[in-house]
Amino acid sequence: MTDIPLSARPRSRSVAHRILAGAWATTEMKVAFFIFAALAVLTVVAPFVIDASATKITVADRFLPPIFMEGGRYPYLLGTDQLGRDLLLRSLIGLRNAFAIGIVSVVIMFVIGCAIGIYSGYRGGWVDVVLMRITDVQMSIPVVILAITILGMSRPNAFTVIAVLVLASWPAYARVARSVTLAERQKEYVRAAKILGASDLRIMALHIAPSILPSIAFVAVLDIARMMIFEAIFGFIGIGIQPPTPTFGTIISAGTQYLLNAWWITIVPGFLLALALTSLNLMGGVLERSRNLVLQGQL
Amino acid sequence: MAFAIEFFIRRLSQGLLIVLLVAFVIFTLLRIAPGDPIRIILGPMATATAMEETARELGLRDPIPVQFGRFIVQVASGDFGHSFIRGKQGGASGGSQDGAPDLSQRASVMDLILTALPYTLILASLGLIFAFLIAIPIGLAAGLNAGRWQQKLGLYISSFFVSLPNIWVGVVLIYLLSAKSGLLPAIGYRGIAYAIIPAIVMAIEMSPILIRAIAVSIAANVQEGYFNVGQVRGIPRSKMIYRHVVRNAAVPLLNVFSAQMIGMLLGGLFVVEYIFSFPGIGLLTINAVFQRDFPIIQAVAILASAVLVLINILVDFASTTIDRRLKF
Repeated sequence: MTDIPLSARPRSRSVAHRILAGAWATTEMKVAFFIFAALAVLTVVAPFVIDASATKITVADRFLPPIFMEGGRYPYLLGTDQLGRDLLLRSLIGLRNAFAIGIVSVVIMFVIGCAIGIYSGYRGGWVDVVLMRITDVQMSIPVVILAITILGMSRPNAFTVIAVLVLASWPAYARVARSVTLAERQKEYVRAAKILGASDLRIMALHIAPSILPSIAFVAVLDIARMMIFEAIFGFIGIGIQPPTPTFGTIISAGTQYLLNAWWITIVPGFLLALALTSLNLMGGVLERSRNLVLQGQL
Repeated sequence: MAFAIEFFIRRLSQGLLIVLLVAFVIFTLLRIAPGDPIRIILGPMATATAMEETARELGLRDPIPVQFGRFIVQVASGDFGHSFIRGKQGGASGGSQDGAPDLSQRASVMDLILTALPYTLILASLGLIFAFLIAIPIGLAAGLNAGRWQQKLGLYISSFFVSLPNIWVGVVLIYLLSAKSGLLPAIGYRGIAYAIIPAIVMAIEMSPILIRAIAVSIAANVQEGYFNVGQVRGIPRSKMIYRHVVRNAAVPLLNVFSAQMIGMLLGGLFVVEYIFSFPGIGLLTINAVFQRDFPIIQAVAILASAVLVLINILVDFASTTIDRRLKF
């Protein structure tokens, strides 16, 4: 760092800015972002453009294959399911619901987990010990066991699904935030703030949090995709959001009964989900690498 | 040696406490969640008095801490109780009209778990083998060629594999390899061939973590001075890689086997067994949840968390003994 002239150092830019800029410089990031944005636009626009319904049952149009196959016909671009509902629209709505659940649950687990982690790391002592043992307990229950225990027992809805995902995943954030806080607490700016008479809450919220959260937040993109997969799994087992709301899990599990004659019901929506998730994971992967480079001072 | 003994005493007692707390959480969750197991045991025709009687007999009307205390005493003697629903002969006996359930007619939870366990172990080990077969070549290539196309390929493949929901991969493979071409059997279990497709699904789910871990750890070792020094001294590159880099890279890999991997393995097993009606612990548990069969769910949750805790301890022990710089 010392041989770079002071004026050329990117020090005025925030960490978040540098991570984003570094990621955006890669082709992967641009391609993934474009795919994701296109899918997002499609979920909003498609219901108005396509003259079909995601929920209306049309017996005459059952089991229509996608339009590029023999027997497929307009407006069913990706075919219809066992009840004559348009698969493209159902998948897009499923995608929208899954993404909403993914992002809401990740935001909540991020806020709760990081708040607990910062508090635990900053306070130290017995508070830290107790909180970290709680994360141990939580992390020792496999997600799927926790989920089927809670969701399988009640009538699940979006709220309980999000609650389960948050409950299962906040400890990971708490752990990371705590370990970063432990290092941050020793730094000069924290001691300086303390000497100036800042309260503990002020130091945690206004000094430590802004400096450590961006680097954790960018990796959370990967968790959005992970939560969307969990949502699909819950739907498949029958413990996710209940029909008639289309979710990937319910579409895929209903289609398995017709796998031999109407394979597209299960297989086509999955492509859409896999495409969305791949773009998310690619963005997350690039952001993570860019973050590591920034933290190592190489960018 | 003294180090090892102290380490194990300390960590095992902590672990025992964790497992106890997990057991209490699950135990309580099951009992405060809606859904009455008595209704399922006795069937829709049972009278209120019969239900109350059965509930009392099973101890479900006592305060939860009392029930939990009784349960823990039982578990301490190695007895996880009897299933609410499943009969000894294998069939479910739910919905019988003849009054209170006779506990002696019902399968013991330990027996049910021991019957299912071998299937789960077959699936898990086959899945792990497949995962390594996928991950080692890709991870090695990516790690040895940092900054080149191999590394990108590793990123693409792992990003793609993480993005495939196991439920979908399962159905697609059933369609392609079984339903359409008849290459492999898929549903149920009647021989090792039935484990192949489920194991592939597990491998695709687990391999991204392995690919990343292998690539990162190999790349870090290649950057270290000893790799170049060795070559300067005339040791061929391939020998350096095979003899030294791979060996050194294996230590951090061990850590991947802790919570993340095993948690994923357990979760994956549950879902995959459910997709394929594979008669292991996962299918047993999911069915138990739908039938409100508390004893089975409790036992599996406790055993699963015990396995998780134990593996974490063993991994920590192994890495501290291999690399003494890491303090326990």
